[in-house]
Amino acid sequence: MPLGNLLGFVETNTMTLWGRYFCFAIAAIGIDLIWGYTGVLSMTQAFFFCLGAYGIGMYMTLSNLPEGHQLPAFMEWNQVTELPTFWAPFSSFPLAFILSLLVPALFSLIFGFFVFRSRIQGVYFAIITQALALAMFLLFSRNETMLGGTNGLTDFKYLLGFDLRETSTKLGLYFLSFIVLCLIYIYSSFLTKSKFGKGLVAIRDSESRMRFTGYGVSAYKITIFMIGSVIAAIGGMLYLPQTGIITPGRMDVQASIEMIVWVALGGRGNLKGAVLGAIVVNLLYSIFTSILPGGWLYVLGGLFVITVLYLDKGMIGLFQQIQAYIKTFFASDKNNKEAEDVENEVINVSA
Amino acid sequence: MLKSKLLFLTLILGTLSFTAYSFEKTVENSVQTILSNNKTELDSAVNFLVETKTPHTYALIGAVLEKRLYVKGTKAYTLFPGIKSYYEVYPEFKEAESDVAGITPLKLSRKYILKFRPLSKYTQLYTPVAQSKLNAYQRFKQSGTLEDVAFLTEQLKTESDEKVKAAGNEAIYTIWLLSGNEQLEMNALAQLGEGASDQMLDPLEQYLKKKENAPQDQSYILASELISTIQARERFINTAQNLFSGISLGSILLLVALGLGIIYGLAGVINMSHGEFLMIGAYTTYVIQQCFISYLPASWFEGYFWVSLPLSFITAGLIGLLIERLIIRHLYNKPLESLLGTWGLSLIMIQICRSIFGDITAVKSPELLSGGIEVMDGLILPFNRLFIIGLTVFMGVLTYIVFFKSRLGVKIRAVTQNRNMSACLGISTKRIDAMTFFLGSGLAGIAGCAMTLIGNVVPNMGKTYIVDSFLIVVVGGVGKLVGIIASAMGVGVLSKIFESFYEAVYGKVIMLAIIIFFLQFKPKGLFPDKGRLSEE
Amino acid sequence: MLSVKNLSVAFGGVQALKLDQFDLKENELRVVIGPNGAGKSTFMDIICGKTKPDEGSILFKGEELIGMSEVKITEMGVGRKFQKPTVFTGLSVFDNMLLGLKVKKDIISTFFYKTKKEHLDKIHEIALKVGLQDDLDKIAGSLSHGKKQWLEIAIVLLQDPELMLIDEPAAGMSDSEAEKTGNLLCELSNSHSVIVIEHDMKFVEQIAIDQVSVLVRGSILTQGTFQEVKNDQQVIDCYLGAPDSAQAQRSA
Repeated sequence: MPLGNLLGFVETNTMTLWGRYFCFAIAAIGIDLIWGYTGVLSMTQAFFFCLGAYGIGMYMTLSNLPEGHQLPAFMEWNQVTELPTFWAPFSSFPLAFILSLLVPALFSLIFGFFVFRSRIQGVYFAIITQALALAMFLLFSRNETMLGGTNGLTDFKYLLGFDLRETSTKLGLYFLSFIVLCLIYIYSSFLTKSKFGKGLVAIRDSESRMRFTGYGVSAYKITIFMIGSVIAAIGGMLYLPQTGIITPGRMDVQASIEMIVWVALGGRGNLKGAVLGAIVVNLLYSIFTSILPGGWLYVLGGLFVITVLYLDKGMIGLFQQIQAYIKTFFASDKNNKEAEDVENEVINVSA
Repeated sequence: MLKSKLLFLTLILGTLSFTAYSFEKTVENSVQTILSNNKTELDSAVNFLVETKTPHTYALIGAVLEKRLYVKGTKAYTLFPGIKSYYEVYPEFKEAESDVAGITPLKLSRKYILKFRPLSKYTQLYTPVAQSKLNAYQRFKQSGTLEDVAFLTEQLKTESDEKVKAAGNEAIYTIWLLSGNEQLEMNALAQLGEGASDQMLDPLEQYLKKKENAPQDQSYILASELISTIQARERFINTAQNLFSGISLGSILLLVALGLGIIYGLAGVINMSHGEFLMIGAYTTYVIQQCFISYLPASWFEGYFWVSLPLSFITAGLIGLLIERLIIRHLYNKPLESLLGTWGLSLIMIQICRSIFGDITAVKSPELLSGGIEVMDGLILPFNRLFIIGLTVFMGVLTYIVFFKSRLGVKIRAVTQNRNMSACLGISTKRIDAMTFFLGSGLAGIAGCAMTLIGNVVPNMGKTYIVDSFLIVVVGGVGKLVGIIASAMGVGVLSKIFESFYEAVYGKVIMLAIIIFFLQFKPKGLFPDKGRLSEE
Repeated sequence: MLSVKNLSVAFGGVQALKLDQFDLKENELRVVIGPNGAGKSTFMDIICGKTKPDEGSILFKGEELIGMSEVKITEMGVGRKFQKPTVFTGLSVFDNMLLGLKVKKDIISTFFYKTKKEHLDKIHEIALKVGLQDDLDKIAGSLSHGKKQWLEIAIVLLQDPELMLIDEPAAGMSDSEAEKTGNLLCELSNSHSVIVIEHDMKFVEQIAIDQVSVLVRGSILTQGTFQEVKNDQQVIDCYLGAPDSAQAQRSA
């Protein structure tokens, strides 16, 4: 596709769009690690995604201040005279970069500590995180929070001296997103194949067996919750320069649940599925909002229902089933064993 | 000598009476000049009335200022906003006799209205509306001078409304308090006493500021005591008000959470579309109201609400039943999947509703439930909220009876505890599921109908309550009626209290923190199952 | 080895367990029998830290277990097999056993864990013992009920526990499978202390090489060899007797 762009077949806008899909796919990998592998349904991942985006957004706001202005415009409107202290570190890129990762990590550590320690699990955890998403959405929507209220952070022109409107910058961000997606995919697949990753699946299958086998389950859960939220934040950090705006609307309850559906639709417990799901749903979104603006919510709602009713293993599971079916259909007796293996894999994914 | 003295006295008296007579005459003349709109003498007539400040012309001047003056012969009339019948404003201030045919409106030019403006603080007292009169007296607290006291005292003599009377007296005390005359100040403080209203807070604080350099004075101490009495009462009223609105919020949440909790307990389904049944109930009410307006005589309008209540229950219940049969029954005991699936359902339901009804729809409250009970000065409990609380109690008791005293309830509880065993014992679990969904969704529908009394009807109204309701189920313990009731009230009241201390948003954040903290000690809610039942 | 005193726990006002005294010697195999709801599983739950008792004391190797976390108790050398076979259904049999292996189980160690030869040997040895040597690559979820029971025993065994709490190991097994399990348990008791809960009297007879305790309504009714217990009039009345007397017991 980048080649197509250079040759003029693919528009730059389409490239930016795909760059954004990659960011969503990154966040989806995080969700898959937490939910698909460990079985902990976190409904607040969009918030961590936004924490990353806001972190970079704060840096970009400060580095893009118009001549003669000491404060971002929205602060001036709110009669703020001095830059709030928590904004100060974000004027330097390295600090902003580190904080964009550290804040979500610490947040998930503290939240995870209290929630997992008291063994809040399953549905209870989902509901608590949902309430957290709602509370944070409301908090970020306030002007007093000094993060731009409902309008969020926007109006950026440069990132580290690169003009964001330039095609080359857009291409660069596209490649960066793609590379980071690949790196995170590789890291995550290493993680899931390690003994640690097997421990996560074990926790999903039987938490108490895991505990009575001598594993500190809470610590495992906190760790993967942290990893997942940092991954989401990385997605957010890459997302912001490509859209140029971040608002609390990206972190409401709906946003988090949508992210989960990407993974569910793609195939949870399978990293490829997460990436696939994120890209497919967002592609559908782009298509539908341009053809049938009012219809998107029906499509999305329908996707939710169809996924949980018929696509227990997601699209990946469906492909594997079809594959297995074709194999058994064409295979002679000696190939039966292979088909069985594939089926076993399907079970592996779904269990 | 004696004779001459007598003559002198007669002379003086005669002059006096003549002056009085001629004054009356001049006022009368000036008024008639105005009423006849005699352009040549209007100027002097208006000036005369402004200078002489004659109370019995105030009602008339008020009508001029309000630009609602009507004339019939030598009499003047006015219309007060919100009151249908005419009032006579000159020569007397009273309700007009029935025959006002042939009256004509009269508008004075802007010039004269501006001249009368300084008198407006007096003229505003001439109104039959108690609230306006009360406000007029309150204004004297800022603008009144010692000269007004006599006028005010005179006015209050004929005042019959207790509240207006109290406000008028407080206006006089305020004037005294800020007059600078120590005798009058003490007098005012003594008269004010315990009963001082919260409107006195400002004047008292002003007074304290004036006396800042003499804090040991008895008057200073008295005034600060008064302030703290008023503040204490205000705090009490605030607390009571918060408690009340907390309970009414808790009631709505409870109606929603009851259905949620029962359904989760029974089927292991997290029904995210449950809030939409609230929406369905509200829109049912809306539709029924529209039907009443369009097809039935206006006098029947009040009845719409009483028709809506059961119908919103039935409509929401039936749609709940339908959705259970079509989709949710495939998601039994898959809480996380059901959470996602029903969220999708709710998106579809909201969008359908939006495409039918548009974005905002207002439902008019029935007359019967407007207003409220004034429990004490400044503490009003609105009827609509009281009704909601009453309705919740009624539905709560009904649910309790159905659950614990009826055969259906026994079966529901049996299926909740052990689905397979119940099926083996011949309970038709399918029918029980359907009934439970009908009841649960219906409860939310009723809540939606009640919601129309206090808020707008919007397609996504259910989303506002769903997260809170789930928190309540989590805190109360799944499938536990008592726990859900306790936690609904707790969450409702606490969040209102936090909202009063902080902004609503911070209230929510604090509430969440408290719930997480609470779950540290009771991870399975207030009333957890114990022993074997708790094992998954 | 294990010494339990004055243990009591109540669920919602119902006394589930009230044990005055229960002792276990090293390398002893103790079978606990008793009617439904006698508190057998609750007893095990308390020992391994799953349930907190209202009061009482459990000394294991001289240390108090009550108040300790499940993980700590497991590290002390208590292994628990549940009534319902609980294995990691999404992982292969090998991975299930790998997770059971007695190595450091903190996050960092598992993160950088490399399979060593001695670990592999140990896994193969245990797999052979429980008869899963041919199923190592299979997904645990696809195993038969009986094999899942064995796998769970294998996971517990790999932790190298000194005390094994085994809840109804023969439930849902065919006769030949049960016999194999019985032999395995007897063999284990040569090097482990074992408490077994069991209903099936035929199976109990096979494994009751040491003492049998009878738990009724949360208390020890009697204790002795299999023959003694079997002929005890009280035990017959409460548990072993005719089905209707057992029912009468329950409804009482």
